[in-house]
Amino acid sequence: MKITVCIGSSCHIKGSRQVVEQLQYLVRENDLGSRIELGGTFCMGKCQQGVCVTVDGEFFSVSPETVNDFFETNVKAKLLG
Amino acid sequence: MNDLCADIGYKSINHFGEQLCGDHVEVSEFDEDSTVAVLADGLGSGVKASILSTLTSKIISTMMANGLSIEECVSTIAQTLPVCSVRGVAYSTFTIIRLLHNSVAEIIEYDNPSVIMLREGKVYDYPRSELSIGGKTIVKSVIRLRDGDIFTAMSDGCPHAGIGEAYNFGWKREDIAKFVEMLAPIGYSAKTLAAMLVDECYKLYGGLPGDDATACVIRIRKRAPMNLLFGPPSNRDDCDRMMSLFFSKQGKHIICGGTTSTIAAGWLGKPLDVSIGYDKDSDVPPTAHIEGVDLVTEGVVTMSKVISYAEDCVGENRLYEKWSIGKDGACQICRLLFEEATDINFYVGRAMNPAHQNPDLPINFNIKMNLVQELSEALKRMGKRIKVSYF
Repeated sequence: MKITVCIGSSCHIKGSRQVVEQLQYLVRENDLGSRIELGGTFCMGKCQQGVCVTVDGEFFSVSPETVNDFFETNVKAKLLG
Repeated sequence: MNDLCADIGYKSINHFGEQLCGDHVEVSEFDEDSTVAVLADGLGSGVKASILSTLTSKIISTMMANGLSIEECVSTIAQTLPVCSVRGVAYSTFTIIRLLHNSVAEIIEYDNPSVIMLREGKVYDYPRSELSIGGKTIVKSVIRLRDGDIFTAMSDGCPHAGIGEAYNFGWKREDIAKFVEMLAPIGYSAKTLAAMLVDECYKLYGGLPGDDATACVIRIRKRAPMNLLFGPPSNRDDCDRMMSLFFSKQGKHIICGGTTSTIAAGWLGKPLDVSIGYDKDSDVPPTAHIEGVDLVTEGVVTMSKVISYAEDCVGENRLYEKWSIGKDGACQICRLLFEEATDINFYVGRAMNPAHQNPDLPINFNIKMNLVQELSEALKRMGKRIKVSYF
């Protein structure tokens, strides 16, 4: 599974750093390092909905507050469910 | 004409308790590729010394820049300087370095410690001849310049550093020369070299300088062009034109901005790899990589940071230690622009980014345009040649 986080200006200001760091932490905690590839990208053209994240191409709007929920429902559930 | 240019930087520290420096450095460019740098040290310290040295250096640099001979300059100085009421003399020592078409250096010294010259990284004892002008003994040298020559002029506050404290006889000229020789190969800018030398004097004085101390460094180097692309063009149809102009230019290429780098990657037909490697103590987004481009970074956030470093650099130069070793995008841009480049071409796109029009965000179109303005102003003050093209 490939998760891509936008680190462009707009998303950066909306907290993409916290999102990236939290995702890195969650991947490690859940021991999913071998199954998830985390990457960065520049602007996806949906800045209004930032922080922009895609999971295997599917778009999600995530914020530092919702990153844990996002991980549970859209990453963990899909991988393990 | 040749492809050499001069990187000039200086720094002074004041006699402790004084608010004004009795040394003064005046750098003026006269026709293309010719420069005069004058370092004057006024008698005593404080206001009187400051006035003497400022007058001396301004008068000399203006006269020299207009092509008058050294004899005329010195006699003018002798006749115009105000006479000190305590000592009954009008006195300011000086060092003049005149660079003609960046191919010949003329050094004229009057009572200042003699200029330290490095050639190929080693101290070079240049030939000197003595002249007597109006009863004053002046030392004159003419040197053909080579790439890598470094000249260090200083006021006597430098060799006097540490007298009776760190050293019995102060920081000897040979030892200062060794100090510069040790730092030179690292490739520091002239401003940094001057700052390091003067900071060392400050330490030797134990933080209480007994005299004003100044160093002025001139580095002769080859011109190094640098190109920076910032923002997509306001009209989509101009993308190709902007990219081909940018990539056809000689020198290194830096791209700032997410959309901009996506366009560039598409134009080059290369993938854009964006890292998520955040630098621990940095608030700037990570950098990216495109084959064939020397540096790819995010736009406004990185650029704002670069400007804060640039403004510090032309001012107090306190953040030097941050940007000179930092790994984030802003620090990398700083090193390329402030130290490596001599000629910088900006390719600025004026496209409106819809995401930036959100009033909650601290960025907008005007700020973005101002960024380029502010940065080029600061870079000009560092002695860089700047060209800005808008698209």
